Amino acid sequence: MKFKAFLTENGVNLLENRFIPSLEKMGKICHLYLTRDHTFFLHNLLFNDGVQSIAQFKTESLFSDYRISSQNDDRIAFSLDLSLLLRALRSAASISSSATSADRLQIKLVKKLPQNSTQPAPFLTFETKGNTSAVIHDVPISKPLSRAQVHELQNSLDDAQDLPRTLVGVDDLGRLMNFVDRMKQLGDVISVYISKLGELHLKVSNSLVTLGAEFKRLMVVGERGGNDGGGMSVEVSMKHFAKCLQFHLAKPDCAFYGVGSQGASLTVVFQFFVPGSRRTDKSVSLHCRLPVLDTGSS
Amino acid sequence: MYQHYLSFNLLRVTRSTAIASSIKAYFSLAGRNFLHSSGRQPQGPRDTVARHIGSSEIKARREMSSSAVDAASVDLACQLDNVQGIVDALSSVRWKRQQDAVLELSEHGVVLIVEESGCLQAKVYLQKEIFARYEYTAQARPRFGLSLGILVDCLNTFSVLGHSTIIELRYPGPDMQLLLRSVDSLDACMYAEIRTTIPDTISWEYNFEPAGATPLNFTVKSAAFKEAIDDLEWPGSSIRLSLQPTPPCVTLRGDGHGDLQIDFMYYVNTDLLVSFNCDRHVSYRYKYKFLSATTSNIPSSVIKDNRGSKVTVGRGGMLKVQHLVSVSRSSLSHPHIDSAGYQQPSRIVFIEFFVKPEESNDD
Repeated sequence: MKFKAFLTENGVNLLENRFIPSLEKMGKICHLYLTRDHTFFLHNLLFNDGVQSIAQFKTESLFSDYRISSQNDDRIAFSLDLSLLLRALRSAASISSSATSADRLQIKLVKKLPQNSTQPAPFLTFETKGNTSAVIHDVPISKPLSRAQVHELQNSLDDAQDLPRTLVGVDDLGRLMNFVDRMKQLGDVISVYISKLGELHLKVSNSLVTLGAEFKRLMVVGERGGNDGGGMSVEVSMKHFAKCLQFHLAKPDCAFYGVGSQGASLTVVFQFFVPGSRRTDKSVSLHCRLPVLDTGSS
Repeated sequence: MYQHYLSFNLLRVTRSTAIASSIKAYFSLAGRNFLHSSGRQPQGPRDTVARHIGSSEIKARREMSSSAVDAASVDLACQLDNVQGIVDALSSVRWKRQQDAVLELSEHGVVLIVEESGCLQAKVYLQKEIFARYEYTAQARPRFGLSLGILVDCLNTFSVLGHSTIIELRYPGPDMQLLLRSVDSLDACMYAEIRTTIPDTISWEYNFEPAGATPLNFTVKSAAFKEAIDDLEWPGSSIRLSLQPTPPCVTLRGDGHGDLQIDFMYYVNTDLLVSFNCDRHVSYRYKYKFLSATTSNIPSSVIKDNRGSKVTVGRGGMLKVQHLVSVSRSSLSHPHIDSAGYQQPSRIVFIEFFVKPEESNDD
């Protein structure tokens, strides 16, 4: 099992400034899943007990000289602590940027003997080489997942890629965040209604007050509705909903909301544009699925 | 309050069920399709009105469109264009987190009343002129209770959007709620439905009467008054307020762990003490926590404008503290007031506090 690559400048920027800080808000521990073509950061895919989030990058968008090999069809997965990863990445990137341009930031999977231990442990190592010195940051990771576990992870990933038939797009995420911030104090459950006419309604109530927001004429992707709107309403945990809004730290350009088949989950798909254009950047994708507390009414 | 609320709801359910059946019985005679054609199901005590209005009026209502019926069915529909100003004004009488308030609606505007321990009462007068639109149709003045904290938090939700928001307030909603709705955008709308309650009877019927033929009052710069009261926090729980005509002076004195006396001398600094009316020496003690409530949450805009706060001593030592809060439209808001130092009274919210003295005049 081998993995070795150089992080590109774009890769460092994407991970350090945008994705890892937002993924960290979702949960400190996540799976890093590497394949020949893609790198995934996955939350709660194996233990389905909260918000599932999937951040997917084409290898070219993060790495150069990408080399991976394993007996499991060149797929490697392990779990790691995102805060440690971010700390190591920040430190390595600052050294790398202050050194000469020839210096590059290498990332590789190694097995080392940790201090005060007789058992070698796996690490994800960042190595910055200069003319006179080399700086190495080791991020401890879990034992790589077994073939069966990787298979299970891949299956969950395939299931999670199943998108709702209708998605409505909100481009003013700041406004939505402000509002949800205020709603948060009022209740633990938020009701979300999405119609095929491009409406998104949010509502939270307690015994004293009901607070809601209705967004209309939103962009509709997928199935559009007739006059009846064909809406669906679900209830999700307020904590989960607010948490997935934290993905604005990854600076998405738009967020699409949709209810999964049979109202089993609320899916949020974040869209990223190619910088300086209105074209979707297909090398990066981020979406999450929130478990539904009550399917509500359709 | 909760008990009241529950019993109120129970009452409402039984009443509305009875009324709904009586209305159904009526319309099954008068025309089967009324409920459908009006588009409005009988709900809640609003429909008790149907009992009291004559049958000819009911027939006339049948002709009305559903929206017209809805419009006619609210006691108050008004629009606010400066939510932040109202939030400021209401926050100034919010001296604790969980606080119940009573709202009174009338043709002149809305009055919010907050009371504590029978010793402190505050009123915020939102005159109809501060609303962008004010439509009042009730016969008797509606009065209801709600949570002040929730009202302020909800209004805050509307004001954080980063641009001026126009919101509409309506009362009552289908279940006697106070309804708030943003109306400035077609594509996005925020709304809040605040449950209302039957208000607790005000345990202390304040009766502010002048202390004598000559009023006993003074007007002091708000910032200075607040600062003085803040400073009096450490000596103790009781503050003595004294007014004396010669030399004209207002004294605030706290005795407790230590003594602190603050004098506002009228002739020494007329900028600080703007006006002073007193023909005899009076002195009363007030609980510090009640006295501090009169200034502790005073909006920063009042401090910034540094208008005067008027303090009046009434019969029996009842203290009245009045503040003015400007709620000029955000688009028109300007740091300076006009050359006469005078702002349109119509865009001012009046706030009054009444504080009962601790003991009778010991002069």
